[in-house]
Amino acid sequence: MGKMKDTFVTPLLKGNPITVLVLGICSSLAVTVELKGALVMALSVTIVTGLSSLVCSLLRNTIPNRVRIIIQLVVVSLMVILVDQFLKAFESTYAIDKSLSVYIGLIITNCIVMGRIEAFALGNKPFPSLVDGLASGMGYGAILLIVAFFRELLGSGTLFGYQVIPEALYNAGYVNNGLVILPPFALILLGCIIWVHRSLDKELQEK
Amino acid sequence: MNTNSNTYTVIYTTIVVVLVAAILAFVSQKLGPMQAANEKAETVSQILTAAGFGDKEHWAEIGNSATLEFYSDNIESSILVDINADQTGNLDNTQAQVYSTSQLKAQNYNIKNGTDIQVPVYQFKNKVVVFPVYGAGLWGPVWGYIAVADDFKTIVGAYFDHEGETPGLGGKIKDDPAFRAQFAGKVIDLSAEKPFSIVRGGAPEGAANAVDAITGATMTSKGLDAAINSWIGAYGKTLLQGQAASEFIKALEEAIQSETKAVEEE
Repeated sequence: MGKMKDTFVTPLLKGNPITVLVLGICSSLAVTVELKGALVMALSVTIVTGLSSLVCSLLRNTIPNRVRIIIQLVVVSLMVILVDQFLKAFESTYAIDKSLSVYIGLIITNCIVMGRIEAFALGNKPFPSLVDGLASGMGYGAILLIVAFFRELLGSGTLFGYQVIPEALYNAGYVNNGLVILPPFALILLGCIIWVHRSLDKELQEK
Repeated sequence: MNTNSNTYTVIYTTIVVVLVAAILAFVSQKLGPMQAANEKAETVSQILTAAGFGDKEHWAEIGNSATLEFYSDNIESSILVDINADQTGNLDNTQAQVYSTSQLKAQNYNIKNGTDIQVPVYQFKNKVVVFPVYGAGLWGPVWGYIAVADDFKTIVGAYFDHEGETPGLGGKIKDDPAFRAQFAGKVIDLSAEKPFSIVRGGAPEGAANAVDAITGATMTSKGLDAAINSWIGAYGKTLLQGQAASEFIKALEEAIQSETKAVEEE
């Protein structure tokens, strides 16, 4: 059981896809302006990584080695399109799917998905692969939410669309920071998160 | 079994791909009606936003059915016209029937090829008239709705959408309220060579029928400009007739007013 716990915890902390493996940076800059979008993106990626890893692990002994990347890609795109179709079908998620525009479709190109299949799912049993995939997605999602929290709070003064910075503060001269809305700030924030993460975990520090 | 043989590889990939295609086709068919309902509500909300009945966010807040209901309550007539401004059909207002994006695409094809067109004109009870535009952006289609006042000339609002323009650049046609806000108060000048322009580098000072293009999104701006002008071309006669009618009514009202004044003075 200890090994299973390891499989789950590692992608969240020591092997975090964004802060340690530095994968999936592009989308983490793009979809973190608002918490709502970031949350949907995080859930979508978690589902895609989890299910793709599971399916690829189930198929791992049958996949012809020469075309394994293509087969993985087909499985991943199947999952991504399914997620996209379901988001489009429900009234509550339709608007979010529209605001995330191309980024849901671009989960296909997210290195985390293919990376975890290549590195883990093809060499492990289905259940651990599912756990690893889900945990990788959550590790990615956690960083996304942290970044989105600061960007929405400082950039729009809201959280999940609700105004949290009181009107009085604006009257006193406080203004929302325009830079925070722009992608470069997400990169700065990510840098800070990586910095904090590495200073807390001595094992990650390079000599 | 030798999983590296050619036969195995070919058979394996074929089965996987066919299986995936079948799953996708099945899901798409099952979810299709729900997606279509969402898309319809989205289109209606875009028309209502262009007509100035509320922000885009407002319609998302009140939900699909309330949006459609609001549309049905406020629409006066929604007719289909051809290139000669002759009415060729009707849309069902009680069902909030509107032209979908794919229908606009089909009509855009007809406009480009000069074949028979059948395009919608949405007239609201407050006299605002909305018509759609459709064309090609940089990465995919761009479309939108332009609302004109009852003189069929003055723009009161506009809303644009796109399929895959770059977020932050071309995507601004939808996301940047400042871009849309430029349209209000401008006029469609049918006597000019180009009835409406989106000008790269900024519209000339005081130009009544031009707005600024989006910096860094030249291709999207150009595409939208072409879309607007080709659809204005298609609606040309409809707009002209509307203008003539509104001028006639205006003249009539003035005549009645001066007549009553004269009677009163006597």
